[in-house]
Amino acid sequence: MPDKYREKFEEIAEQFVELKDTSELMMDLAYSSLLLNSKELAKDVQKLEEHVDELHTEFELAVLSSGFHEKETKGLLGLIRLGVVTEKIADSAAEISEVVLRGIEPHPVLKLAIEEAEETVTYMQVTKHSELANKTLRKACIPEKTGMWVLAIRREGRYVRPKPNAEIKAGDILIASGYADGESDLKRLASP
Amino acid sequence: MPYLEKIEYKPISVRKLLVEMKNLSELMIDLAYSAALFNDRELAEDVLGLERHVDTLTYLLEMEIMIAARDVEDAEALTGVSKVAAAVDKISDAAADIAAIVTQNIGIHPIVSEIFERVEERLTRANVYKHSPLIGKQVDELNLAARMGVDIIAILRNGEWIIDPEGKETVADGDIFIARGAPAGVEEFKALAEGKLKKLGN
Repeated sequence: MPDKYREKFEEIAEQFVELKDTSELMMDLAYSSLLLNSKELAKDVQKLEEHVDELHTEFELAVLSSGFHEKETKGLLGLIRLGVVTEKIADSAAEISEVVLRGIEPHPVLKLAIEEAEETVTYMQVTKHSELANKTLRKACIPEKTGMWVLAIRREGRYVRPKPNAEIKAGDILIASGYADGESDLKRLASP
Repeated sequence: MPYLEKIEYKPISVRKLLVEMKNLSELMIDLAYSAALFNDRELAEDVLGLERHVDTLTYLLEMEIMIAARDVEDAEALTGVSKVAAAVDKISDAAADIAAIVTQNIGIHPIVSEIFERVEERLTRANVYKHSPLIGKQVDELNLAARMGVDIIAILRNGEWIIDPEGKETVADGDIFIARGAPAGVEEFKALAEGKLKKLGN
């Protein structure tokens, strides 16, 4: 198989991974927005939804312009359908966050159902001198040290899903939730 | 046409229904991606079965919500619950759409599956057969995470799903485990469950 062709597919697969990750990140953020009745988080979800729409279009165009052979049409149809699904998941997340933006006070049963010990959400910038800079999330041990866990990393207007191997960089904004007490601990780590 | 469960009101709390729907929808998404990327028909069928179950739960939840609303304030607050339930239902539908890629023999382009396998951990379905060395052991005691980097995310036992099982859960003959981990660990776990490997390594 020519390398150029393979390269094109590497690119398509990467685009799909980004779509999938973003849609799953949105679900986490949407549930948190509901739990914390946080309009700010809910707005992040809405912004991400627009971002997913763009990614999805780019992804579909990349698939359609891959120069595929006729016998590969099925496999590519499967891929296009996967893309549609990530978009549907992103839509669902946006619908959940919409409940918060409409000013409907979340019913207590929702808190019980989401069942996590989240009291607060905080946005914390990582400064140059922070010990977190250039560490992976796994090495940073933020939950152990602060009782808060990272929902998302905002970097230059984009959102990174907090996989254990994701590296924290100076300038990042950590979106974290957890016990209110943990906020000052997180500040010490991120913005000393 | 698929079999549709008859819907009859059952007194189940809104909280219980919602927790189950949310947990199932998340499990279904994971299962469905794995089914599609690794072309696993059994996993795909499981997802389709779960989707029908979530549909039933959605009906029951709507009934509970209608019964619970006594006045305007209730109606306002419960509309939010209903919206969230609808979104969760939509997510489970999305998972079923992924599973259908497998059951309708469409499939995913092999180069993409291959690339994906490098970046994602894979899920597997492991049947526990009667000669498995795992039978009678508690999940904790197996220490799967430390031994082979495998996490148990669900058990299917007598047609019921146990999601995110507790460490005290004992492995029984006939259990079906859904496990996640790096490919080598997952293969080892599967061989143990099926009794092809007789002993737990270190």
